[in-house]
Amino acid sequence: MLLDIHDVHFGYQNEVELLQGFDLQVERGEFVALLGPSGCGKSTLMNLAAGLLHPLRGDVDFDGAPLRGLNREVGYMTQGDTLLPWASVAKNITLPLELRKVSRAEREERLDRVIRLVNLADAKEKFPSELSGGMKRRALLARSIVYDPQMLLMDEPFGALDAQLREVMHQELLSTVARTGQSVLFITHDISESILLADRILVLGGLPLRVMEEIRPPYGKNRVLAQVRNEESYFELERHLRELMREADAETKAAKARTLAH
Amino acid sequence: MTDASMSTDHAPAARVARVPRKAPVRISPTRRRLENLVLQVVLIGAFLLLWEYASDRWVPKLMVSKPSDIWTQIVRWLGDGTFARNLWVTIQATALGFLLGASAGMLLGFVTGAWRRVGEVLQPIVTAFYTLPRLALAPLFLMWFGLGMEFRVMFSATIVFFLVYYNTYFGVREVSSELISAVRIMGANQLQVALRVIIPSALVWVAAGLKISVPYALVGVVVAEMLASDEGMGYLLARGASQFSAAQSFAAIAGLLVVALIVDWLITRVTDRALRWKTAGVPQN
Ligand SMILES: Nc1ncnc2c1ncn2[C@@H]1O[C@H](COP(=O)(O)OP(=O)(O)OP(=O)(O)O)[C@@H](O)[C@H]1O
Ligand SMILES: [Mg+2]
Repeated sequence: MLLDIHDVHFGYQNEVELLQGFDLQVERGEFVALLGPSGCGKSTLMNLAAGLLHPLRGDVDFDGAPLRGLNREVGYMTQGDTLLPWASVAKNITLPLELRKVSRAEREERLDRVIRLVNLADAKEKFPSELSGGMKRRALLARSIVYDPQMLLMDEPFGALDAQLREVMHQELLSTVARTGQSVLFITHDISESILLADRILVLGGLPLRVMEEIRPPYGKNRVLAQVRNEESYFELERHLRELMREADAETKAAKARTLAH
Repeated sequence: MTDASMSTDHAPAARVARVPRKAPVRISPTRRRLENLVLQVVLIGAFLLLWEYASDRWVPKLMVSKPSDIWTQIVRWLGDGTFARNLWVTIQATALGFLLGASAGMLLGFVTGAWRRVGEVLQPIVTAFYTLPRLALAPLFLMWFGLGMEFRVMFSATIVFFLVYYNTYFGVREVSSELISAVRIMGANQLQVALRVIIPSALVWVAAGLKISVPYALVGVVVAEMLASDEGMGYLLARGASQFSAAQSFAAIAGLLVVALIVDWLITRVTDRALRWKTAGVPQN
């Protein structure tokens, strides 16, 4: 077990009952996708895993030990823009390597690889203010995968990419984590994306948040996405998940309306 | 987007002669800058001419002197070295006062901004001192430092200090906590966070503080020279006025103007370089 969120209670000032005894486990090497309506608490879960937020009650364990302070064993691609505005794209991407005192030669080599992967080689020397929204997302993505953390936390990483690039990134992400054995916790709104990538999909909803259903797409680690897209089971899953998402959405809305009425 | 003056110029011609329509042309930025410069020169020239004419006709010359007399005075001072000597004294004091005040301001601003607890204790104390009128310190400073350079430097430094302090303090406090968390998760320790996030992020504010405080450093020195000194541009200015020679005072002011322009140009060059990332994404005009 790499990440173990166990019986966690958490809330904000205006959303006091968000998590009431929530559980979430991610095995070593496992790819878990979180699917759920907007505002249900997905990013909150991820911030707990990153150690940016701390549970009121319950435990967040990482790699067998309770998490104290920030979790430096993860690469976190947040929903917001956290590029350093005063550093070039190249400098931003190699920042984690620099902080880890990786040699210059290796930094260059890794930069070269990931920057080509995310298709930003031409924008290497640009500042973030000169990038489009999608380019910023790609730079953030490159930064979170350039070092090899034990676990990737990805909050809607591909939302702003065009369809082609997204397909390329899907396949690349899968082969990278298959090679490195990294675990991934992946938030998305995109049903087909979750089926294509995940070993396990958690459909979340309600208030307090609960796992409405757990689904394991049966395609294995070495899947070829072009093939998966043609499987009969893929369409089945998609239909099923769409139905689930509708329920989750309705339940979350109803629960929020109920708490507002109180 | 068509340029207004172009379309009105060409519209009748196009109707009569069916001249093929040209692509809308924008005035190039260089051309525009040149035009602005010409306008400024014309404006200032007109003012000087008016001054020259009005002196002794509408206003007593004793009060306002006139440009030609001032120019004679400037040439005389340039010739006998008065300008060079006193300018140098003023510039030295300004530079020292600025350096001293700015480094103290940045240091304290950073410390109080970055460490919440230190800030809670020290910030109100600094603010209390800030509300003191700076001129009230002059007699004390005179007593401590005497009539020499030290007095002028310290006086100017106290003015610069507060400006730079507040800009640095708020600059450091403004740093996005999301950015800090992101960099810490990537593995940065406290020192690396300070060097790579807090300082560069605060630099926008610090640079602004430095920029506005340069003229104040000069003001501080000149005021101190006027109060108690026997050298420097402020001294020349005050002496001119006390001898009822407006020409001398204006000549001294002209000298100060040149210094101020040069210093401002220098500091703009330096800060623009440091903030290149900030202007990189601005649409071209
Ligand atoms: N910093 C905060 N302060 C107060 N309330 C917050 C804060 N962050 C989130 N919330 C509330 O907590 C709930 C869950 O937010 P969260 O960001 O986890 O949702 P999400 O599932 O990631 O949504 P989305 O898919 O839109 O990103 C929301 O109702 C939101 O209003
Ligand atoms: Mg979110």
